[in-house]
Amino acid sequence: MKLSSAKLSKESKGASPSHGGHHKKSLHSKRPSHCSVLPLRPVDQLEQWPSATVDMYNSDNNHHHHHCHQQQQQQAQTSHTSTSRSSDYLAGGRGDSGEASGAGDKWALRLLKECARAIFDKDSSKVHHLLWMLNELASPYGDCDQKLASYFLQALFCKATESGRRCFKTLTSVAEKSHSFDSARKLILKFQEVSPWTTFGHVAANGAILEALDGESKLHIIDISNTLCTQWPTLLEALATRNDDTPHLKLTVVITENIVRSVMKEISQRMEKFARLMGVPFEFNVISGPNHLGELTKEALGVLEDEAVTVNCIGALRRVSVEERASVIQMFRSLGPNVVTFVEEEADFSTTRHDFVKCFEECLKFYTSYFEMLQESFTATSNEKLMLERECSRSIVMVLACDDDQDNEGECERRERGTQWSERLNQAFSPVGFSDDVVDDVKALLKRYKAGWALAQPHQKETGLYLTWKEEPVVWVSAWKPLKHSQNYRN
Amino acid sequence: MLETMAEESISNGFIKNPVTGSNPAVVAKKRNLPGTPGKYPVYMIISAKFFSFEDHLHGVLMLCLTPDPEAEVIALSPKTLTATNRFLCEICGKGFQREQNLQLHRRGHNLPWKLKQRTTKEVRKRVYVCPEKTCVHHHPSRALGDLTGIKKHFYRKHGEKKWKCEKCSKRYAVQSDWKAHSKTCGTREYKCDCGTLFSRRDSFITHRAFCDALAEETARVNAASGMHSLAAENFNYQLMGNPLDTVMPFSTVFNPISSNDEAVDQTRRGFSLWMGQASQGYDSFGKSTLQEIHQFGSLNPGSIYGDPMVSTSNPPVSDYQLNWVFGNKVSSGNVEDHRLSSTSLPFSNVKENGPQLVSVPSLFSTQQQSHQTPAFSMSATALLQKAAQIGATSTDTAFLGSFGTKCSNSQVQDGNKHSDLYVSNTPSDLENSANGISTLNQLQMYPAKRRRMQNEDSGGGGGGGETRDFLGVGVQVICHPSSISGWK
Repeated sequence: MKLSSAKLSKESKGASPSHGGHHKKSLHSKRPSHCSVLPLRPVDQLEQWPSATVDMYNSDNNHHHHHCHQQQQQQAQTSHTSTSRSSDYLAGGRGDSGEASGAGDKWALRLLKECARAIFDKDSSKVHHLLWMLNELASPYGDCDQKLASYFLQALFCKATESGRRCFKTLTSVAEKSHSFDSARKLILKFQEVSPWTTFGHVAANGAILEALDGESKLHIIDISNTLCTQWPTLLEALATRNDDTPHLKLTVVITENIVRSVMKEISQRMEKFARLMGVPFEFNVISGPNHLGELTKEALGVLEDEAVTVNCIGALRRVSVEERASVIQMFRSLGPNVVTFVEEEADFSTTRHDFVKCFEECLKFYTSYFEMLQESFTATSNEKLMLERECSRSIVMVLACDDDQDNEGECERRERGTQWSERLNQAFSPVGFSDDVVDDVKALLKRYKAGWALAQPHQKETGLYLTWKEEPVVWVSAWKPLKHSQNYRN
Repeated sequence: MLETMAEESISNGFIKNPVTGSNPAVVAKKRNLPGTPGKYPVYMIISAKFFSFEDHLHGVLMLCLTPDPEAEVIALSPKTLTATNRFLCEICGKGFQREQNLQLHRRGHNLPWKLKQRTTKEVRKRVYVCPEKTCVHHHPSRALGDLTGIKKHFYRKHGEKKWKCEKCSKRYAVQSDWKAHSKTCGTREYKCDCGTLFSRRDSFITHRAFCDALAEETARVNAASGMHSLAAENFNYQLMGNPLDTVMPFSTVFNPISSNDEAVDQTRRGFSLWMGQASQGYDSFGKSTLQEIHQFGSLNPGSIYGDPMVSTSNPPVSDYQLNWVFGNKVSSGNVEDHRLSSTSLPFSNVKENGPQLVSVPSLFSTQQQSHQTPAFSMSATALLQKAAQIGATSTDTAFLGSFGTKCSNSQVQDGNKHSDLYVSNTPSDLENSANGISTLNQLQMYPAKRRRMQNEDSGGGGGGGETRDFLGVGVQVICHPSSISGWK
């Protein structure tokens, strides 16, 4: 395939590690053969993009192939003509954008947005062109722009070719193969060391939980999180040291991601040992299986009458399909918890889910911020950073290229903002403010990290706390208690 | 009238302190000041202004036990206590924080010579009680001898924590505590057994929980840590009074027979005690105790655990016994597989198998294994804190030496006695021989260990008392000299 050879030539220039090659190959192998329409010699062809449209949405492969060949022949024969087409896509009217850096600031964002729009408009030639350009400029090993270009390109491509589901599955299985307890542990601990992205939620939630369950002797925490139980050691330590009477803690972890299942056994062993070390009477249960959180019941979770229950959700609500969110929230309430804590990332992919371009822009904005954060927190060559970025790439594909109507087996990733979650939660819960002590704890936590992080306490109508990165809210944490039965609706 | 009543001294014949809302009787006997406990008359001045009549009566009629018979018990109101200018000039009413400052000021008034003199009265030692009714120190028998001390106590316990550490957000009610903490905050480094250094406590904790070193360590550590922590608690118990009563509930900790949750809890708490100490002075302590434990384990392979183990038909248990008998180290081979060694000896089986593992040397073993006395309701931490309030603040290593010898003397008899009881109570086959031999050895090892533990912990525990860091408290647990007599 000509395209892959183009890639290979690029690889030979730079030093790409082996899994980069693998990654690229897998990416390209996903592309149907008709995609080889993109020409071999970028610089030349850039200026002579044919005006003939190739219908990418034509599902007839043969037709495509034929068409491609035709097109290539045309290209080969035509002489250099300058078109202004390419320059339309780049800043400053440069005709020969060529390779990366000269393309100006934020080239990736512009190209990506244009491409998204083109896909939405079903403008095949433009799509082709842009995809091709992005392909040339993007790299998962480059700077932020290049990385974003690379991963969003992948998603856009999947969207254009309606191969999102397949792509996602491939990416996931690739990730699972290299996933182990050691790698997962290393990853998350390193991430927590360099960035308060997850620890912010942990500290705030633990603070709220400890305060709400103070004095109780039997605690039951239902944990639906994506942080592999790294929240709990500090809670266990707090239980052991702050109270006169150490309560009994039962921790029930609900797994929603397949990738986590394999490491849960190790995690449970460690947790149990650690609890023994701390001297906290401890019980650990894992529940994996329910595709839909709404299906959980008190019995399934092992909730007993004399327990003080807490539900702790970190990055879990967004994985519930949009239609089911209300019922899941009601289910939480039905467990009769003393307090529920939620931590979510601040982005809105759900109200825009029917508007591809808007959703794309939201997505781009959020991940730009995230990637920049990763860039500044980790070292340049960090493997952990790379793994996190790859996780993002799967999320991005899921959000942009996977149809919500299909059953995504609980892999949905439609985030909502704190205010939106609050609206939903107000149907079953009322907010609990974080005490000054907890806020102080969070502030002290943030002090331990590099500059750029801050705590934002919301204005009157909002609930919870926001972690901000460079003044932009990125993570939201909140605590709630169930409404009394008479208060079913709030005004 | 109240004053005259107060002026009377109350003589000896008295009753136990019916202090409500304070600690269980066993603890109340401890004193917060060094000195021999006893019953002494007390001379009380309780101003009617601050206490109700009932209170006053209560105070007068009660037999107050203070270490110093002549001590004057001062009860200040919260307002007075917190007032920063306690010393008032009678001439102009100006307030001063210190008496000396007031004196200096008074000189300036050019008083006639007579008035310059302080009104002579016997300089009596003054002790102060805490004005907070629910507080332990509210009672004259638990008064503190130092005004500054009672002030600090009042702020710490009952005051608002106004001073906050910037770095770690810890809060303090007393400024000096806060200052002391700020000096050391962030300077301490935490070292995990795997060798990694942390400057932040929370990342250390999280790392520790997932660290590979944890898996192995708990195996070895638990083996003997149970002895340490429970030994520590045991000292308290036994020293406090009726050993029979106290040994019993305490040693139920060791009896996970019917997987009594309470016993298990206490086991765990006991463990936390030790581990808490470990985690603070992690580096030195952890390592050295591990070495000790190894040593310990290998020296007396069969002694401690061999005998008291009630052998059930569980094969793993007997394997374990064999292991011990043949002197294998616990951590040999695959730690995870070996049921008993993978986690703490007394504890793991409670959870996993439920075999009858009584890993107590006969010294501490219960006479009534089958009796699960649920009387014990306090956690290890609470116990230690209370003990700390009562017990000596200084650790007395000499004591331990003497304790060791004393123990060993009386030990043998006890050992035999226990072993007899064992035999009678537990129908299953026990290795009786191990009993007598082992206990002596164990005891002699104990003092050594305790000593070492203390030395390492004193650094870590210092200054922690007021913030109720049970690590600090733990250090103070080591037995009060007077308690030797209580030990059988």
